[in-house]
Amino acid sequence: MSRWQYFLRRILLSIPVVLFGTTVTFMIIRLGPLDPAAAILGPTGDPAAYDRIREQLGLTQPLWQQYFDFLFQLFTFDLGNSWVIGPGRTAYELILIHAPRTIWLGFWSVLIALFVGIPLGFYAGLNPNTFSDYTASFGGIVWRAMPNFWLAIIFVSVLSQSEDLLFGFEWSSWLVQTNVVTPPSLAFMSEPLALLTNPGDTWPQLIGAIKQIAPAAIVLGSSSMGNEMRIGRTAVLETINSNYVETARAKGVSNRTIVWKHVFRNALIPLVPIITGEAFLLIGGSVLVETVFAINGLGWLFFQAAIQGDLPLVGSLMFIFILILVGTNILQDFLYTIIDPRVGYDQS
Amino acid sequence: MSNTQQTEEVPLRQRISENPRPALVWLLAGALLIAMEFGALVGVFVDLLSLIVNLIPGNPGIGAVNALEAFVKSIPTLLSRDVIPNQGYWNGQGWEATFLGLEPKYAWLVRTILVYVYAALVFAWAWNGYTRFRRYYRYADWTPRDDVVDRLRGHTWGQFGFVIVFLFLVMAIFAPALGPTTVEANILDPYSNSVQYWDGEVGTSNGEVAEITVGEANLGSGSQGTASENFGPWTYDDYNRFHPFGTTTNGKDLFTNMATGARVSLSIGLASMGAAGIIALALAMITSYYKGLSDLIVILTSDSIQALPILMILILVMVVFQGTWFAELYDGALLMIGIFVLTQWPFLWRAIRGPALQTAEQEWIDAAKSFGQKPFVIMEKHMAPYVIGYMLVYTSMSLGGIIIAVAGLSFLGLGINPPTPEWGRIISDGQPYVASASWHISLIPGLLITLIVTGFNALGDGIRDAIDPKSKTGEGENTEAMAGGSGA
Repeated sequence: MSRWQYFLRRILLSIPVVLFGTTVTFMIIRLGPLDPAAAILGPTGDPAAYDRIREQLGLTQPLWQQYFDFLFQLFTFDLGNSWVIGPGRTAYELILIHAPRTIWLGFWSVLIALFVGIPLGFYAGLNPNTFSDYTASFGGIVWRAMPNFWLAIIFVSVLSQSEDLLFGFEWSSWLVQTNVVTPPSLAFMSEPLALLTNPGDTWPQLIGAIKQIAPAAIVLGSSSMGNEMRIGRTAVLETINSNYVETARAKGVSNRTIVWKHVFRNALIPLVPIITGEAFLLIGGSVLVETVFAINGLGWLFFQAAIQGDLPLVGSLMFIFILILVGTNILQDFLYTIIDPRVGYDQS
Repeated sequence: MSNTQQTEEVPLRQRISENPRPALVWLLAGALLIAMEFGALVGVFVDLLSLIVNLIPGNPGIGAVNALEAFVKSIPTLLSRDVIPNQGYWNGQGWEATFLGLEPKYAWLVRTILVYVYAALVFAWAWNGYTRFRRYYRYADWTPRDDVVDRLRGHTWGQFGFVIVFLFLVMAIFAPALGPTTVEANILDPYSNSVQYWDGEVGTSNGEVAEITVGEANLGSGSQGTASENFGPWTYDDYNRFHPFGTTTNGKDLFTNMATGARVSLSIGLASMGAAGIIALALAMITSYYKGLSDLIVILTSDSIQALPILMILILVMVVFQGTWFAELYDGALLMIGIFVLTQWPFLWRAIRGPALQTAEQEWIDAAKSFGQKPFVIMEKHMAPYVIGYMLVYTSMSLGGIIIAVAGLSFLGLGINPPTPEWGRIISDGQPYVASASWHISLIPGLLITLIVTGFNALGDGIRDAIDPKSKTGEGENTEAMAGGSGA
């Protein structure tokens, strides 16, 4: 099987995966013990309104009809309305409002994790069994074992009282004046060109937005950071002891070229699934981290919709999350296909 | 080839009867250990019995069960708060009602140390049983498993993990005996219980012995962040009660909460990973033995489940099932276990699929097939033993993720129903006080979670290196990704 055939097969296989995910969502929402209409109305609803909502949600139809409507609407990206969080507004509107903050958070948590985890792991792998290796490895393991939400609480508390706890260093007024617990202001994103045309005003906004998101991004990236470090370390150790590196060394290739040309590139391959796997950690973790840092992004929206009984919105959000996860899986296969020529040969 | 002698297999029972002394000594020591805790041991079964009786409509024989419960409570148990009491009061000259008149903190310390000594003895006894079996009763001088055990014994990091896990397991099992007070008296029903205390300064003789309900005492000993209203780790409150980890925001004992919370977290983790492990093992056997269609079906199912955002599903299910009878079972733990089993088996199955396929290709499987052995026997006897080790690795690693996820859900207010203690809920209670004098409320549970997750990961690392010293974390990608949990 050629590499691209393998890739195509993976894409085809992702269709039943999405179907399965939506079916599970449908079953939980429509077959679970919670009546969506009653949940929207709350305990003090009048029967007429209840019947009206049931009618509008299509709950009066037979179950199989509901199921196909549900699938059809989602797959045609007709995400429906919100009923409790923003009554009458479409799920689209809400997602458009909340998604940028989550994307901003996800972007920085991936970036920070990458730029701290991988260099540290490679450093530890190139200097194995030294004191700094042990410190980095042990630190990575403990760092990863900390629950995100707990770490987030600690960050919030320490940073909001930083002038007392960090020897006079005041986080909230450092560089730009910001609050610790707040959604980042991403207004500058609507006009990215302003960063060039009007740097005096927009650059502080950009720095402020980065600063606002940084603690949350570090927390959310913590477990991936640990993973990347550990995998990076083993990958480097494995490549550096492989035969072709020994051959290169025997040929007299300089140490620098060996590390950058032979070790580094090959050690990146096992890191691909870790980096794409971050999507899972980010989507799950966004609920808790966004709740603690009061960043009202998608995770926060999902949680609020769930506890306030806005089940139609929850279903649509779940579909979006599943699409993102399946998309990252496809991206991972794509990266594999490009980076590793062995793909498709030894896999069944 | 021709002169290999076929030795007749003698059953283990016969081997023991030929040389009974080592086995008898071991059994006697075991009986002694059990006798010390007989009351507690029988108590567990009686509790289970009463739970079952209560579930049956009409509660048949409830009177007999209650009588049995009362009788079991009267059996003296060495490591109980009746034998080594720590709750006492200052009477003007000395401590009253505590063990040997010691200060409450020392009395509590004595009991805690004894519990851990007892647990260590039980472990040593079990280990001794294994070595005795190896030395006196086993046919083979050496088996591959001996090497695994030896490698694990030489693995410091793995042993560190084992010690941590052992400490937490003992904490969970002996939770009622370890806490300075009980869940019933301190957390569930504080107004029906009372304590005596010295109304005055302890260590002096001005004052008098007074009595107060636990509920009122709790009101006066909450940790609320200010220096005057804070009872930190290793302190007494105003009612002569000792708090090893301090008090919670509403004056309850944090250590009792933690010990019971360990019970909840670990039992959810172990039950769900145990059940998921059985499913994964069974499926791995079937898919690697029959391959083809069965493999494809399981691949599709597991891929689909693995692509679900697990934490979101958990939140959704907890919300949807809120208030139903199913969510009340075992304070909501059963619901969580169910979801974890359904979502975790694909990860385990993925992790052991490779080794299982490899084992299925071995010659001895072919031999067994041509010998006419039944597929089930082949899977059970010739394949499963080679795969179980790998599964232990992944189980240990993902346990940490489950413990974190349970805490995360309770933090959001969705997990274990209050008032049952849970680590995540305590963290949430202490959230406003992290940077104040009452830092201990949130910090201690978080540190405990970090510690036990590290412990399970280290144990997993140790087992992996022990069963397969050549694998330089070959399947590492899987384990690393799993150890992070679902992002909570």
